[in-house]
Amino acid sequence: MGNALAAAIAILAVMPSALGEAFVCMKTVEGMSRNPEMYSKLRTTMILACALVETTAIYALLVAILIIFVA
Amino acid sequence: MVNLVLAEETGFDIAGAFLDTSKGLSGETISSLIIVGIICLLSLYIAIRAHFQDPLKKPKGILLLAEIGVNFFDNLVETLMGKYYRGFGGFILAIACYLFIAFIWGLTGLPSPVTYLATPLSLGLITFVLIHANAVRFNKLKYFKRYVEPVPFFLPVNLISMWAPLLSLTMRLFGNALAGWTLMTLIYGAFGSLGNVIFEAADQALKVGGVIAPFITPALHAYFDLFSGLIQTVVFLFLSMIFIANEGPEDDIDEFSVKGGR
Repeated sequence: MGNALAAAIAILAVMPSALGEAFVCMKTVEGMSRNPEMYSKLRTTMILACALVETTAIYALLVAILIIFVA
Repeated sequence: MVNLVLAEETGFDIAGAFLDTSKGLSGETISSLIIVGIICLLSLYIAIRAHFQDPLKKPKGILLLAEIGVNFFDNLVETLMGKYYRGFGGFILAIACYLFIAFIWGLTGLPSPVTYLATPLSLGLITFVLIHANAVRFNKLKYFKRYVEPVPFFLPVNLISMWAPLLSLTMRLFGNALAGWTLMTLIYGAFGSLGNVIFEAADQALKVGGVIAPFITPALHAYFDLFSGLIQTVVFLFLSMIFIANEGPEDDIDEFSVKGGR
């Protein structure tokens, strides 16, 4: 029970990460609509940026998994 | 407590991910070997076909596909990593094939190798070794300067942050695959129970239960296995290429390169 609660609190860290990804996508779509000839380059950069932002969420997931399975 | 129940019910045990060979090879390792065998046989077949192909004729079928793939990855490596890394196309193509098939391997019903910590760790380790090997190749003895970069006082910090790319690459693959696997297992369990509750009467009479899940899960499989697998493969390859290319000389690298390591 305590483990599950701790994991639930640890996974809360994905919330700001999701917001960050939303900001990345928002700004990218703005940039794409302003100059569409940059579309493919912006898409590549956006996927990379999303992956880097996602790192935080994945660390949180790792901590939650470790709490449930190992601790 | 929870882990024991989960391990018994699903056969998943995170402690077993650290090379526990007492129970023989794990299912994930066998899946991985099968994937490697498939890729080896396919490339051997393509190589034999290419050897006997008349170079003046147009390639057809699988040979055409292979040519498009090799061309695409060579061009990608050339534009993304620069002229000093021209030989990396084959390596990137091989990793891409293995990783994508490993991600969608869950669709066959066999255990997916990416949910086994040893597999992403090995892939991350390959990139990690390549990063440092290329740093030594281009910087020679100046390579060791990075550990005492601002002042020698930072040596312990630099020695720890050296491992950040390995941890980040490994955990990105493992976390995504494991999250998808866990969600799919939970959904299968939930809809199985729901089907059993709804069709209890039919279950008593006809012995059919859990008939709801097959109608709902394919869409989720398409997201968690196909889409997520494709995105993660692309991201892993791009990050690997950028990390490796960062170590080389600056002149030939375009705006895709990211400053600093992560």
